[in-house]
Amino acid sequence: MARNPEITTESAAPRKSGGLYSRVKVSVKTLDIIILVLIAALVLCVWFMVSHNGFTVTYDTLGGTPVESVRVLHGETLSPETPTREGYTFDGWYLDKEYRYAWNPETDPVTDSMTLYAKWVEAPRDGT
Amino acid sequence: MSEINTIKKKTLGDRFAEFKAMSGADKRRAVGGVLINNAMYIIIAIAVIFIAIKVPAFLGLPSIVNIISLTAAKLPIALGIGGCIVLTGTDISAGRCVGLTACIAASLLQVATYSNKMFPNLGVMPLWLVFLIVVAVGALVGLVNGFFVAKFKLHPFIVTLSTQLIVFGTVLMYLMIGTNNGQTLSGLDTSYTDFVRGTLFTIGDVAVPKYVLYAVIITAIMWVIWNKTAFGKNMFAVGSNEEAANVSGVNVFMTIVLVFVLAGAMYGVTGFIEGARIASCSANTGLNYECDAIAACVIGGVSFVGGTGKISGIVIGVLLLQIIFAGLNFLSVSANMLYIIKGLIILIACAIDMRKYLVRK
Repeated sequence: MARNPEITTESAAPRKSGGLYSRVKVSVKTLDIIILVLIAALVLCVWFMVSHNGFTVTYDTLGGTPVESVRVLHGETLSPETPTREGYTFDGWYLDKEYRYAWNPETDPVTDSMTLYAKWVEAPRDGT
Repeated sequence: MSEINTIKKKTLGDRFAEFKAMSGADKRRAVGGVLINNAMYIIIAIAVIFIAIKVPAFLGLPSIVNIISLTAAKLPIALGIGGCIVLTGTDISAGRCVGLTACIAASLLQVATYSNKMFPNLGVMPLWLVFLIVVAVGALVGLVNGFFVAKFKLHPFIVTLSTQLIVFGTVLMYLMIGTNNGQTLSGLDTSYTDFVRGTLFTIGDVAVPKYVLYAVIITAIMWVIWNKTAFGKNMFAVGSNEEAANVSGVNVFMTIVLVFVLAGAMYGVTGFIEGARIASCSANTGLNYECDAIAACVIGGVSFVGGTGKISGIVIGVLLLQIIFAGLNFLSVSANMLYIIKGLIILIACAIDMRKYLVRK
């Protein structure tokens, strides 16, 4: 493939293409206005997002009593009420349904929207 | 407007003298041009100041290390796509390709005793072998991309759109192997996670992960390939003018294919790192990574005009993007909303890139 490594300087001279912009028909003035409009849109979007900020934390109790989802800010911790389920005892919140990643709501700071799953262990049946 | 172009090649002192000699209207136009050409950087600078005032922790050491780590994780894929953009193309199969390679790496490096191991009889494979396998898989996808782009003269958008779908289908089927049944791959061997996520060194009490070092090595290798090899020079020649490159004796077909193969190998590297970094790979791993990478390249001055771009520009582009995303995260902006920002950033960066081209013309 490398027959002549010196070609760069020669081939760069007759630059007629312009790649993806070769067929662009727009004046710099119009483009300036478009860029300013886009920037305004970006600023508006960021402003909207920052004013509607907050991460949604949803609790999936997997059969237990429902716990309402909450909106929290970055770095805050949670204090969900403990759900109950007949015949089971609650054994903490987890990030996944397979209970691989535990989440302690009181100490772990929230950094994104997420769903927490309740872990249940069967209660010993001595109450009968 | 053409004065601005000629001014660029002079020293700062000359430029200032010329600027002083300009009439009022010209001065205003020159300043406006500089402002618009650097609009992206100005916006980001203002955003950083704004966020730092609102949430001082944004400029704290843990946050800065986090931004650097994220930049390192997203660098290889951006360096790969950068080559495709130099050829005035792009590659939208990149994200899915990272997903596939991450899933392959994770499945081959699960703990031998893990109950839900995808290949129960495999044990744990040596790291270097898995690394070579995923890089080869990535390069294979790149080879398909490159072949159809170079042979059929199709726009890379069309070719990589189809490989994106094919790769995604492959990931879905791969995750159905054995008893896995499409579930998330986890239970990774510690040799793998330590190799990628292990501590390189600590600043204060903040650990810098090892993949930062790998990103530095990859960047150095790519810099040498782009700037010091005949292949790199051919790539820029084909990118700036394909016919002229062909006339001068460059093997255009091979150059295009190799650029895509190299990009594919970079997705393999990203997948290998990503597999251990996020530690649970699913079909959604790598989704939309190409958007970030393309945005980073365009912000970093890899132009869609073709034949222009620098490795340093890509590094800066990736870093700036991660700074914005980390900052918006500190402002509690949900990741779902960031997609709109990403889209607008790509549009603005392209418009600015186009403006630079028009002014030069």
